[in-house]
Amino acid sequence: MNFETIVGIEIHVEMKTKSKMFSLAPITFGDKPNTEVALLDMAFPGTMPRVNKEAVKNAIRVSNALHMTIDHELWFDRKNYFYSDLPKGYQITQQARPIGSEGYLEIDLDGEKKRIHVERLHMEEDTCMQHHFSDYTLLDYNRAGIPLIEIVSKPEIRSGLEARKYVEKIREIVTYSNVSDGKMEEGSLRCDVNVSIRPYGSEKFGTKVEVKNLNSIANVEKAIDFEAKRQSELLLMGKEVEQETRRFDEAKKETVLMRKKTDAADYKYFTEPNIPPIKLSEEFIQNAIDTCPELYDHKLERFLTDYKLNSIDAKIILSDVEFANYYDEAAKFTKLYQALANYMISEVNGYLNKNDISILEFKVEPKFVAELVELVQSKQINSSQGKEIFAKMVKENKSPLKLQKELGATLISDEETIRKLVLEVLAQNVTLRDDYKAGKTRAQGFVMGQIMKKTGGKVNPGIANKVIVEELKK
Amino acid sequence: MKKVNKDVLKDAANRLYFDMTDDQYETLLEEFDTIQSEFELMGQIVGVDEATPMTFPFDVSIDYLRDDVPEEPLKAEDVLKNAGNVKDGQIKLPKVVG
Repeated sequence: MNFETIVGIEIHVEMKTKSKMFSLAPITFGDKPNTEVALLDMAFPGTMPRVNKEAVKNAIRVSNALHMTIDHELWFDRKNYFYSDLPKGYQITQQARPIGSEGYLEIDLDGEKKRIHVERLHMEEDTCMQHHFSDYTLLDYNRAGIPLIEIVSKPEIRSGLEARKYVEKIREIVTYSNVSDGKMEEGSLRCDVNVSIRPYGSEKFGTKVEVKNLNSIANVEKAIDFEAKRQSELLLMGKEVEQETRRFDEAKKETVLMRKKTDAADYKYFTEPNIPPIKLSEEFIQNAIDTCPELYDHKLERFLTDYKLNSIDAKIILSDVEFANYYDEAAKFTKLYQALANYMISEVNGYLNKNDISILEFKVEPKFVAELVELVQSKQINSSQGKEIFAKMVKENKSPLKLQKELGATLISDEETIRKLVLEVLAQNVTLRDDYKAGKTRAQGFVMGQIMKKTGGKVNPGIANKVIVEELKK
Repeated sequence: MKKVNKDVLKDAANRLYFDMTDDQYETLLEEFDTIQSEFELMGQIVGVDEATPMTFPFDVSIDYLRDDVPEEPLKAEDVLKNAGNVKDGQIKLPKVVG
């Protein structure tokens, strides 16, 4: 029997705000444990939540990118549970009225667009970080209260591949809108998937299994494909799929049982009484949308039409929003857009990979990279001189024009000097002119090789070629 | 309905890690008497169970959102002050998952 895989995805995105969702504690990440905590985060009596404006703007921007209906009134609810990760005994969330509802995104499947509907997007606060050891647990409250948005898809995803594309798209939206750094490996984008299967043609959903702890987009795809296979094998053996929570074991490339699910937990939701309903004006919402940084699809379109980049290179550059922004800056200083793209993909990216750093840690000003591309492309320097200048530039962040002077990296471009060199080669190889006239064009290459050898590669190849042909024709 | 007396209030205050003066307890008790008698009055209204619960008694909507400007956080030693057990700057608990 053939089964259809049904997947719904819940994504939690940690926002890049300066302060927490409801308290004034700073967020810097990677600071010492329990040093970014306010009284509210520790649930001291008398402390009151105050909603972070930037977090609301972020939620509006992502809702808009997902074509959602945006609620013009903010309502928050308490999700009550007793656990050490939240001292208040409840999490402030938006259960009844999410800020965003009923939207969609489109994924690309071999050139075909598939629309995946997004049920809801709401804001909430993160819980504290728990570190579990063999016989004890440590609590760090730095994370407690960091603003989150939760994005819930409808169960319209049908394979691991579609799920991967869906998560990639969400990641693209939250990183390009500057809402989050979207790093799954660091937990700023967390993904839980619900997987079930049913016979093709059936309308009824099967028992769903939740898979947690997916720390990379590749693992989302692997976990779903594994889970669909596991469930179909169970059904084919006449067994039942049990409702349970599993996690993905990266080493074994399989999902393993975490716990059996009993009835859904009753969180006794009720409206957060400490936050009155907050009215959002049309002007505020529109401003949040209008000031949203350029999103991926728009940027791609612009790179293809304005910079005339080929699609593959444009997508490579856009695969990292900061890299794309750097390219945009550099492109202000040259019109050689494709050459700049090639240079950034090969030289700059190569340097970043070799040194295991991001473009944000690359100290060279974008205009200097553009300047270097101009120098190489106009053949004022050759590629090895270009590499030499690049090596010095990444250390000193100096203009390549200045470095060119400092290093004496110039090419011989004077025609008469080059002609003298060509004539020397022709005098030593008297048959070359006849060979060339007889159609042996490699004679031209031979002369070029010889003069490059004589000068250590410092002849302007464009001018040299012109002179060589002139002399060979004589 | 449980009778609210000074012991009940003291116990509640203790659980919430604060205390008050005797005068303040007396004031609070008087307020509770008023509240309780009003609840009893409401209990006499027929059909109150069918009413939709309200969080706010009237339209209290606001348009205030806080600017995203952080303030000085608590000192780590203050955060950890009430913890029974601390290790490596973190609150230490018996293991909470299996």
